[in-house]
Amino acid sequence: MRKLKSAVLLCALSSPLVAQADCGEVSITEMNWASNTIVTNVATFIMEQGYGCDVTIVPSDTVPAVTSVAENGEPDIVTELWLNSAGEAYLRLEEQGKVERVSKVLDPGGVEGWWIPTYLAEKHPELTTIEGVMENPELVGGRFNNCPDGWGCRVVSDNLVRALDLEDSGIEVFNHGSGETLASSMASAVQNEEPWFGYYWGPTVPLGKYDMTRVDLGDVKPDVHQKNQTADADNPGVSDFPAATILTSITTDFKEREPEVAEMLSKLTFKTETMSSILAWMDANNASGEEAAVYYLSNNSDEWSTWLDDAARQRLAKILN
Amino acid sequence: MATYDSLFSSLGLEQWCSEGKSSGPMSMADLLNQTRGESAEPASLWELPFPSMDALNESCAAFPQSRELTKGLEQGFLAVKDSLSLVLDPLTQPLSWFLDGALYAMLNTPWWIVIPLLLAVVYLVTKSWKLMLFVGGSIVLLAFIDHYDYAMQTLAIIFVCAFLCVLLGVPIGIAMARSNSLQRMIIPVLDMLQTLPPFVYLIPLIFLFSVTESKLYGIAIILYAIVPVIRLTNLGIRLVDKDVIEAADAFGMTPRQKLYKVQIPLALPNIMAGVNQTIMMSLAMVVIASLVSAPGLGVLVLRGIRNLELGVGLVSGLGIVILAVILDRVTKASLARINVSQKQ
Repeated sequence: MRKLKSAVLLCALSSPLVAQADCGEVSITEMNWASNTIVTNVATFIMEQGYGCDVTIVPSDTVPAVTSVAENGEPDIVTELWLNSAGEAYLRLEEQGKVERVSKVLDPGGVEGWWIPTYLAEKHPELTTIEGVMENPELVGGRFNNCPDGWGCRVVSDNLVRALDLEDSGIEVFNHGSGETLASSMASAVQNEEPWFGYYWGPTVPLGKYDMTRVDLGDVKPDVHQKNQTADADNPGVSDFPAATILTSITTDFKEREPEVAEMLSKLTFKTETMSSILAWMDANNASGEEAAVYYLSNNSDEWSTWLDDAARQRLAKILN
Repeated sequence: MATYDSLFSSLGLEQWCSEGKSSGPMSMADLLNQTRGESAEPASLWELPFPSMDALNESCAAFPQSRELTKGLEQGFLAVKDSLSLVLDPLTQPLSWFLDGALYAMLNTPWWIVIPLLLAVVYLVTKSWKLMLFVGGSIVLLAFIDHYDYAMQTLAIIFVCAFLCVLLGVPIGIAMARSNSLQRMIIPVLDMLQTLPPFVYLIPLIFLFSVTESKLYGIAIILYAIVPVIRLTNLGIRLVDKDVIEAADAFGMTPRQKLYKVQIPLALPNIMAGVNQTIMMSLAMVVIASLVSAPGLGVLVLRGIRNLELGVGLVSGLGIVILAVILDRVTKASLARINVSQKQ
């Protein structure tokens, strides 16, 4: 941290044209999944180098972050907030005017759904629809890999399982204990070219790394999906997962304190495909999230330079060219 | 210009170094230097970096980075994985059957059979009406707040795992007591099992076994909980009075008779203390094993943590405390009975 500060100072001194930015302390969340590490590191770099903020990264997770904002008004910036897993608590905070959503950090948003490996879809094209899967349960291994308890998708998937009568078609529902086992069951199945059928979401490293095909659950019906988000909903319906809204959200205090940074954050948006390709690169090179952020910053400067205001663009001019 | 350039040039390795190309990802520090528009100047002695793999790689591109070490380990593990699981899979398969069978039996037998059966077992091992009433009350309380299924799943897992721990642990402990060299070999392994955080050995287990099979968490629990029963069996047999053994020798007992008629009965209090510890450690592990899909109260605890549902977390935590108290009381009471019967 101290080194970064002195770097900022040096940068400011060496170019007297650029005024010293007046940005104080900023805290930003870092959730425990790969794409968020990239978003957070990119945002941190821009805030430190472009706006002269003193950034603290807070390791967190969706629900704890929202709770912490509700109770303490900290951290200032919550990024890559999946609206569907933050739930009511977050919407209440917005109503109370404590937080404000400034941008959709991934455009068009997160992909959720039920997937099978692409080699399976090529061999048995009928498996790309849920009807096909339910008619041939043995082709997908007779098992649906469900989300862990406590995840937003678990509620939706449970309701879908009931609406579809999935278990009656001979598919056993396996409830994973954690996201790690869900991912590794997929990984080991794909590595051995075995059948696999289950829930997953993206952009994530596994979906960037393994070639998966989404099983068509029919049309997206927003009202049915809304109903499916309540645990044990009466007469749940069948609706595919809509694109998930993923937000950057900041506290209203922070917006008043640092309007320029807030302005930048409102433009900070990654294309979902770009994010998937960075995640694939990250896995291929065995790179850390920080290095992936550097990879993005050094290869996509035309994209992120549009987020900045003039002063910040000048400060970052050296790597922009 | 990196810190250890001179080291490689003085060793005459420049040729070798330049053959490697530095294609590794750029770090944040490099990017910062680029922002500043200058290359990193050779730092003062105060900031001398440790000659780690990454620091050496900066001076010499052919030198491997530490990420290549982790990658190599991963590939090595994946390479032996298939042959390893070919051996381990059939060996551990009965564990899956036991666990699935116990869970199925516990959940599909009606409660008005399971609860009296459990109480009968409690009475048989403790011969105490008071304890039986306490256990009955606790289970009825758990059932009343709709945690019966979860509690029974947890109990079923504990029964299977603790039973297997005793089945494997007691013979290992006896073998250790009879051979000093075996004891020297096994004690470091036991120390390691006890000090390794459970999460660390869950990682290779996840890769070795299919995560959808129940033996995955069974193995995790057994590895963690088997230690006390081995240690205390070993200790108990070693603590048997030398004079008693001498007397047994004088009577012309064979080693087998000595073991079954003298050593094990006299070591029984210690062995039972080990069993008590093993059961308690299985219970502790059941919660962590929920991360690898073990059903039961642990799932609810995890849900409480994930969603910050304080109530769910507290109630399931309370359920675990109740189970712990029951198991502890019952095993302690049967231990006390053994102690009393030995004094007579």
